[in-house]
Amino acid sequence: MTDHENSSIKHSDHLLLDQPLLRLPNELLRKNFRAAHFAIEKDTSTLKTLLRDSATAALSGRATQQDVLKNLDAMISRMRGVKRKLGAYADEEARLHTQTAARIQHLDELYTMHSIEDVKYEAWSRKRLDRLLADYLLRHGYNDSAKELASEKNMENLVDVDTFVSMSRIREALLNGSVAEALAWCTENKKELRKMESKLEFMLRLQQYIELIRTQSQPKLVEAIAHAKKYLMPYWGTYPKEVKQACGLLAIPPDSSYGIYSDLYKSTRWNELADLFTTTHNSLLSLPSVPLLHVALSSGLSALKTPACHSSHADDIYNDTGSSSALGHGVCPICSTELNDLARNVPYAHHTKSHVEHDLFLLPNGRVYGKERLEDYARKSGLSPNDVKDPVTGQTYPMDLLKKVFIT
Amino acid sequence: MASPGDDIVSPFGPLQNELARMRGANLTTAIQDVDKIIEYLVAARDQVAAPDADHHRISMAMTTLQNPVKDRLEAINNDLRDVTKAQRSFGKALDKALPQRELPMGTDAMADHPSLINRAIAMHLVREGQFSVASTFVRESRDQQPPLSLEPWSPRTARTDEDGDDDMIQEDGEEERLTGHGVNNYPEDLQGQFAEMYSLLSELRNRNLGPAIKWARQNNSRLESAGSNLEFELCKLQFVWLFKGPEVNGLPDDERNGEMGALRYAKEHFARFQSRHLKEIQQLCGAIVFAPNIEQSPYRHIFQIDSAFEDVATSFTREFCSLLGLSAESPLYVAVTAGSIALPRLIKYNKNTKEKKTEWTTENEMAFETPLPPSMIYHSIFVCPVSKEQTTEQNPAMMLPCGHVICRESLHNMAKGSRYKCPYCPTEGHLRDAIKITL
Repeated sequence: MTDHENSSIKHSDHLLLDQPLLRLPNELLRKNFRAAHFAIEKDTSTLKTLLRDSATAALSGRATQQDVLKNLDAMISRMRGVKRKLGAYADEEARLHTQTAARIQHLDELYTMHSIEDVKYEAWSRKRLDRLLADYLLRHGYNDSAKELASEKNMENLVDVDTFVSMSRIREALLNGSVAEALAWCTENKKELRKMESKLEFMLRLQQYIELIRTQSQPKLVEAIAHAKKYLMPYWGTYPKEVKQACGLLAIPPDSSYGIYSDLYKSTRWNELADLFTTTHNSLLSLPSVPLLHVALSSGLSALKTPACHSSHADDIYNDTGSSSALGHGVCPICSTELNDLARNVPYAHHTKSHVEHDLFLLPNGRVYGKERLEDYARKSGLSPNDVKDPVTGQTYPMDLLKKVFIT
Repeated sequence: MASPGDDIVSPFGPLQNELARMRGANLTTAIQDVDKIIEYLVAARDQVAAPDADHHRISMAMTTLQNPVKDRLEAINNDLRDVTKAQRSFGKALDKALPQRELPMGTDAMADHPSLINRAIAMHLVREGQFSVASTFVRESRDQQPPLSLEPWSPRTARTDEDGDDDMIQEDGEEERLTGHGVNNYPEDLQGQFAEMYSLLSELRNRNLGPAIKWARQNNSRLESAGSNLEFELCKLQFVWLFKGPEVNGLPDDERNGEMGALRYAKEHFARFQSRHLKEIQQLCGAIVFAPNIEQSPYRHIFQIDSAFEDVATSFTREFCSLLGLSAESPLYVAVTAGSIALPRLIKYNKNTKEKKTEWTTENEMAFETPLPPSMIYHSIFVCPVSKEQTTEQNPAMMLPCGHVICRESLHNMAKGSRYKCPYCPTEGHLRDAIKITL
């Protein structure tokens, strides 16, 4: 039957949700290397000039012993500085390598399983759920919960706590009206942001400008003009409309209500900035734009949902306390309190084949059950062999009132 | 369709090799070269600083310093080049092992319900026994904006708006009590419930049936009306466990243990099960006669309890959750697992509709079938053999007098006037003879 096929794992398809698990450390490794490279480049080129100059100076006899010593000391301390910085980068690199190794191993484990019914698969899938939960928690700034979950489940290497914690720190700062942290992040990632034509830095600068004008104090307004010259005008070519609006803003005090200008003064702009930062951050690190838990849930809820899950009948089986579903797998997850409301608005699964119990019989009350279940329940209830009892309503009927049902 | 077996070989082998290479080519080599440079510089400084250093010596020291430092700087460049190379080829291997595929992010239906998702997560953590994470989470989500709406939790919130004609619940005070203190203090109350469940489970695993039996007895009427034998199963296991005697069960060797202890236990407790389980009780007691060589007796299967404690723990968990109106397995776990199974189809479907610019018109139903394993099908699903549609509340399954079942719409479409002919057999009938059935 196809049942077996439905339980087999299609590995490459099964890892769709797990792409960021390896992508992120890879992006971080590259970023770390770029930073290290930049630091070395800068310091070694200074070293080179310094070395050459002091040698020529020493040869020509222009430099005294003290001068040469001073130069050498400068070089030594510069190189010690390089060593210290490199050390930090190397530590980060080692951490990312360990993380990558742990993640590859985790994904590789899936290939030792072939069926969804495999006990090992359940453990693996639970771990995946924990990862998705941690990802969700981190993205919503529930950092402590995420950290605790990661350490309880012993999966620190599979969860990107650091990345998200620093992200949410910047986000929080924006929501509290401070652009400094986000601007520092922009400087850190200048090249990449330029490559992806990000608007973030401009928007941050614009906000700074708006805040200066909001004060309406003379020195701040002067400062605002200087700020605009320095940081906004370079974007004249890219965002002409916004820059012009910014210029116009000078003439408009915050309490007036000129459509677009009052929009610029709105405090909700900070939320938009925070969101823009999050999107930029995520796409820079090739992180999915929405929590993976959302993706998994919306696909999973639909796959599991049946027309019966939100039916209004009070007397249907799944509404009955304690009774397990007809197919004997316990209470349906969509009917369970946790997900019931959440699943209300998703479409139900499409089926082309009936899934019913074997050997169905109709009770006089219009309910249909499998023969095995009826017999089982009658035995458990201690009925005489000629009677059956409706497992849901509890009504008892003599066997000969049952009618066979044919499902085609 | 991918045939089974075509992707069994893990693509991560090559990736692991690349990782090993990358771990070999790392920044520490560059640090070693920096160290060397520092060494040269320090040595040169010593020469320059020497008391007898004259102009000649100083220039010598500075000149000889040039080349080794330059070489080392060159070496650093090479080190870095190696690191990039290794990183690049790892990146390529990664693209190969885990080709980038787009996930369906366009419409994030879940984003509108953060509080429902938060509630689901909190309940998941509680039911998994992660109480401390759960309380951290509740605190954090309370502190944040928008706060997690703490909707009062009660078993079966869905049923509160229904007419409540469920007599089983009315006659049972237990449910009232449970609902009574379940309201307003979710999830602490839920946490209390699961804390109880875990403590009972850990007693069970330690072969101590007492607490579980006590719980089952307290909830007996509800368990029985739900068709569960849990209490008897537990008592039966207790009987067998005592019967095995002190050598196996490690309990004190007194009159409450061993065969006599089991018999005494039976006398004390089995009477109340007589009406329902007489036959099994007879078997258990009959076995006592065979006590010395139970292995050769017809009763030996009753006394093989290798996995009995695990089995009983599983059914205990299921019943416990059922009484709370919850599924035994975490719904979040099932949904996410099902989601990962369904995802490839969803992506494929999205791609196809985008290309063809067609849209699925039935908005209540998905457009494609997801191949779920049988263990993930919970409700009976009836697909009408005529219209190929699933039956719903508005369009229920109807049984014709001949025993064949089709959906109501098909039946009405088929009928001529008030009469119809069964599409599967020669029987003809009247519309009013078709019965609405509940599967």
